[in-house]
Amino acid sequence: MSAPLGVLLAGFAGLGPAQDHQAEMYLPAFADHPGFTIVAVTDADGTTDALRERSRSAAVRLGVPYDDELSKALARPEVDVVSVCVPLTDRMATTTAALATGRHVLVDKPMTLSAQECDAIAAVAADTGSVCLPAHHWRFHPAIRSAAAAVAAGRVGLPWNVQADFLVAGGPPSPLGELANFAVYPLDVIRVLTGLPVTQVFTYGEVDDVAVLSLSHERGMTSTVTVGRGPALDGGPGVALHRYRISGSHGLLAVDTARPAYTLRTATGRRNGWVGSDTVTALVDELHSAIRSGRQGTVAPTDARAAAAVVEAARLSAEFGRPVSLKEADG
Amino acid sequence: MEQSSTLGVIVVGTGFVADSHLAALRSRADAHLVGVVDVAPERAAATARAQGGVRWSTDLAEALSWPGVAAAIVCTPNDTHSALARQIAGAGCHLLIEKPLATSVADARAAADAFATAGRVLAVAHTHRCYDYARAVRRAITSGEVGRPRLVRLSVLGGWIWPDWRGWMLDGRRSGGHALHNGVHLLDVVTWWIGCPPVSVFARGHKQTSSELDIYDHLEMVVRFEGGAVAVCEMSRGHRPATLAMRDVFVQGTAGLLTLPWDADASLLIDERGPGLLPTVASDGFARQLDAWLAALHGTAPPVDGHDGVLAVALGVAAERSIVAGAPVSVADVLATEPREVPA
Ligand SMILES: NC(=O)c1ccc[n+]([C@@H]2O[C@H](COP(=O)([O-])OP(=O)(O)OC[C@H]3O[C@@H](n4cnc5c(N)ncnc54)[C@H](O)[C@@H]3O)[C@@H](O)[C@H]2O)c1
Repeated sequence: MSAPLGVLLAGFAGLGPAQDHQAEMYLPAFADHPGFTIVAVTDADGTTDALRERSRSAAVRLGVPYDDELSKALARPEVDVVSVCVPLTDRMATTTAALATGRHVLVDKPMTLSAQECDAIAAVAADTGSVCLPAHHWRFHPAIRSAAAAVAAGRVGLPWNVQADFLVAGGPPSPLGELANFAVYPLDVIRVLTGLPVTQVFTYGEVDDVAVLSLSHERGMTSTVTVGRGPALDGGPGVALHRYRISGSHGLLAVDTARPAYTLRTATGRRNGWVGSDTVTALVDELHSAIRSGRQGTVAPTDARAAAAVVEAARLSAEFGRPVSLKEADG
Repeated sequence: MEQSSTLGVIVVGTGFVADSHLAALRSRADAHLVGVVDVAPERAAATARAQGGVRWSTDLAEALSWPGVAAAIVCTPNDTHSALARQIAGAGCHLLIEKPLATSVADARAAADAFATAGRVLAVAHTHRCYDYARAVRRAITSGEVGRPRLVRLSVLGGWIWPDWRGWMLDGRRSGGHALHNGVHLLDVVTWWIGCPPVSVFARGHKQTSSELDIYDHLEMVVRFEGGAVAVCEMSRGHRPATLAMRDVFVQGTAGLLTLPWDADASLLIDERGPGLLPTVASDGFARQLDAWLAALHGTAPPVDGHDGVLAVALGVAAERSIVAGAPVSVADVLATEPREVPA
């Protein structure tokens, strides 16, 4: 058995300073995975002192060194993989720096909000042959995986419509809006479910952190995506509603990511207990398999680009008050 | 009770939906059926016999002159509604008319105005407002528990229930298009739930059952309201199998999230045809609708009045126009610019 891959945790942030996806999502998954070992912690150069403090204390807890410069951390030979969770504005630079040194990278979502930057990242990864995995972890959900396989096998015939809902309860609002924050997830899942690229977007825009995207896809498929953040609900912050309905020429498939789950009721309340495998664990596992077998990841910078291009077009649509084609948004 | 002391009603148009109205009417002690009207004499006569030998005619004017007629229920194709409504208002009768009130805003207004002038009660059969699910959601919203609605989904999915190519529902000039034919149910209900004036509609349509269709049997309509709330209305008659009946609701409010998923009011039935849903027993929406209309004759507000009926038509027209234009359509523009049509 080969030695575990060394992981450098770069940044303890998210889309805004309130978020810490490294501590909440990626660190636990890497720590639990037998194929990885965490070897160091660092930040993007120019990170605020407050964020550096988070990283430093994490390094102390983990008993690994903290490097205050990215280049120092990347000079460590024991680093095979970089988990990039720096603030959005530093993601592009940190990711490309890691890839350029031949490291494999997991990048928090959204990888970047610019389709062009996604292309640039993809180009560097292609040059060095490194694996670059944007953290589109919902596509690894057990209900999404079986649905994607069923659709691909023709169980609903030719898909002609998808309805998707992605609503989160509570938590701090994203400083860039929930469209930028969350839309990537349902967009990525629709891409996995149907394989049909988006050609046009209409949205009235975001109001109070909720938005509706009306999408046209190749082959005449349409989809409607609701996305947003609502008030805090009993049971704590987290995903409140995350579902897909795929209509095809020969059938219909309704997928609710609240399943598989059990319900536990006690004298004081009611909660759902997860039965399935964890999506971030599956994401990290995919990173491991891709690296070990010398292949590209099943989720790649092109997937991040597809979502970013839609979000860019959505912004233009909200501004212009009309549908915007992806070609137009790109040009 | 003596028949003469109860409200005398005629039913105009004795096709598919008339049966639901007739059944509701039969259970009333305060109203009775005087007779029926249909341009097809065989249908009018057969229905009259089935209803215990009431009168029948192919001519509305004649029926309106029958002794004891004080009210009418109109169940004819959509494009005939406005003219029939005005004739009924002119005869001084009250009216419960099937949705949509008309196929254009001008015609809908003309009908609503005729009742305002005549001082008679007009109610439009947006029956969904009388269904248990819609009332329960509305109650949850008006109780304040959900907070201000921000994002609403109402999906109503079914398969083919229409006749063959000869069905008037498939002719956009007669039905107004699917957004006016069935879409109005959803557009009306979400407006009722959200309780703010609608501002704009962005709609898309699929011709799913056949590319030769002139109407869109699947509709995705996104409505934006004053204050920013947005509703997704999905209406389908293009799903398979034809027996599919699926409804899905959520309301994301400022204080809570209400969900009423497709399996929320059904049991699971596994029989020789495989697994399926067995809907639980629901209240009769048509009986409730009739009850509300009859109550309105005694001074309460009708559940869906002429104003609501006109607005629902405007929303349906906006959706149809949006599909053609591929762009959002302002409801105010539809209400302002719709050309007045020549009365039939
Ligand atoms: N509220 C609901 O849930 C609901 C459900 C179905 C239909 N509808 C509405 O009910 C109406 C009727 O639909 P349907 O499915 O019963 O149609 P249908 O074709 O089954 O019946 C219509 C009947 O009206 C008759 N008719 C046509 N023109 C007439 C005229 N000028 N005067 C008198 N009779 C005339 C026809 O001969 C036919 O018998 C439509 O407006 C439709 O939108 C409402």
